[in-house]
Amino acid sequence: MTEQEIIDKTNKVFEESFEIEKDKLLPGAHIFTDLGLDSLDIVDLVVALQKSFGVKIRNEEKVRNIRTLQDIYDFISAIKNEEGATK
Amino acid sequence: MQLKRVVITGIGVVTPLGNSIGPFIEGLETGRSAVRFMEEWTKYIGMRSHVAAPAELKDEKKIPRQSRRSMGRMSIFAVQAAEQALTDSGITPAGLSSGRTGCVIGSTMGSSRSINDVFEMMLPDRDLTQLPSTMFFQCMSHTASANVAQYLGLTGYIAATAAACASGLQAIGAGYDLIRLGRQDIILCGGAEELHPTVTGSFDVLFATSAKYNQTPQKTPRPFDKDRDGLVCGEGSGILALEEYEHAVKRNAKIYAEITGYSTCGSGSHMSQSDKKSMTNCMNEALRNAETTPEKIDYINAHATGTPHGDTEEAGAIKEIFGDVSPVSSLKGYIGHTLGASGAIELIASLIMMGKNIIYPTLNLDEVSPDCEGLNHITKPVNKEINTILKNCFAFGGINASLVCRKI
Repeated sequence: MTEQEIIDKTNKVFEESFEIEKDKLLPGAHIFTDLGLDSLDIVDLVVALQKSFGVKIRNEEKVRNIRTLQDIYDFISAIKNEEGATK
Repeated sequence: MQLKRVVITGIGVVTPLGNSIGPFIEGLETGRSAVRFMEEWTKYIGMRSHVAAPAELKDEKKIPRQSRRSMGRMSIFAVQAAEQALTDSGITPAGLSSGRTGCVIGSTMGSSRSINDVFEMMLPDRDLTQLPSTMFFQCMSHTASANVAQYLGLTGYIAATAAACASGLQAIGAGYDLIRLGRQDIILCGGAEELHPTVTGSFDVLFATSAKYNQTPQKTPRPFDKDRDGLVCGEGSGILALEEYEHAVKRNAKIYAEITGYSTCGSGSHMSQSDKKSMTNCMNEALRNAETTPEKIDYINAHATGTPHGDTEEAGAIKEIFGDVSPVSSLKGYIGHTLGASGAIELIASLIMMGKNIIYPTLNLDEVSPDCEGLNHITKPVNKEINTILKNCFAFGGINASLVCRKI
């Protein structure tokens, strides 16, 4: 999966699940303060990312460190790379 | 203790005839039925009834996403009706978080569509991982009340009545008691409901739905009519702003009516049907509570859903108390049975009738059934001075509710 595909899929989650306009989806955007998500949204964000990327991340400790969209891109990218390495 | 007086100072609706008071009343005035054929229900095995009165879900995106995410269809209806009632009453947002304003909103259960969605997501593979975090807030039985309270920032008494088709009227009765006892100054109260095959299906398995008019939906339900064959489900919400009388006078509020009497009771005899005896007890107790007499009731808004049994029992009870004097009509022919919302939506229509001194007739009542005779059935619009009204609701569980309102 390319970096751009990860970005596009992640951004689509934010557009569809959280009704956030495309132009706000900048890599540095803070998901709480800039995009307005809250603790309940984070649960749904995890569900949506799991569905979108076909990964299991609910129990990943690193999810707690996510603050920006770039953090999500990097997080998904790392998981996908790990998957690739173990295949 | 001196009991407080309770008045109605605001009303709001979402109904199958329209999403505000104007189109709703216009629909009643022009004798319009909102009942239609439900093509999408024909796929359900064993479902005999394919008719319903849907409301239109619209403008829901005006509710911010973070408020809307915990709302099923019926909570959206409730929030929209509550906003109308607040605007109509002129109550300012500042008063909502005083602790003296609350809400009591009932429904048959939580959002039936959301409950169905949860099971569809979870059950095929017994997998919880796809469940959205906010789904439970749509499913819980107090979802409409909790969502309205959160959305409006109400910090007073928040509760939900759960008495199926009597939920809406019980909510108004509860609001009346809370204000009467001095516990709250303002209560937003009423009911909300949404259509779903599981809801109509619950009546259908009991042979309580209309099944003979699938090809002629506008002819059903037929309250009190000799050819009635059961109820037709509807959906929507009705919310009223109840207010302590002095509180309303002090702010120079418009007053629709005073609630003067209320009673709720059980039949203690049958889970799915109430009976004439307990309905009579309920109406008599509401009249006693209102310190009024049957001849003072200028209009009775009947529950009358069009089921063979229910209409017979209610007609018998009304006949015993009121004879053929007080005019009676049912609004189910226009909007179907909006279940937990019906008590509130139909009371609101009755308040409008009171204000306009007109009675809207029972739609589809072409020939009174022999077992419903002996009442003053209204089959054409009637102009008449209306000062006092009685509203009935009867529900699964054998639960009755009756409310008396008076013009002031």
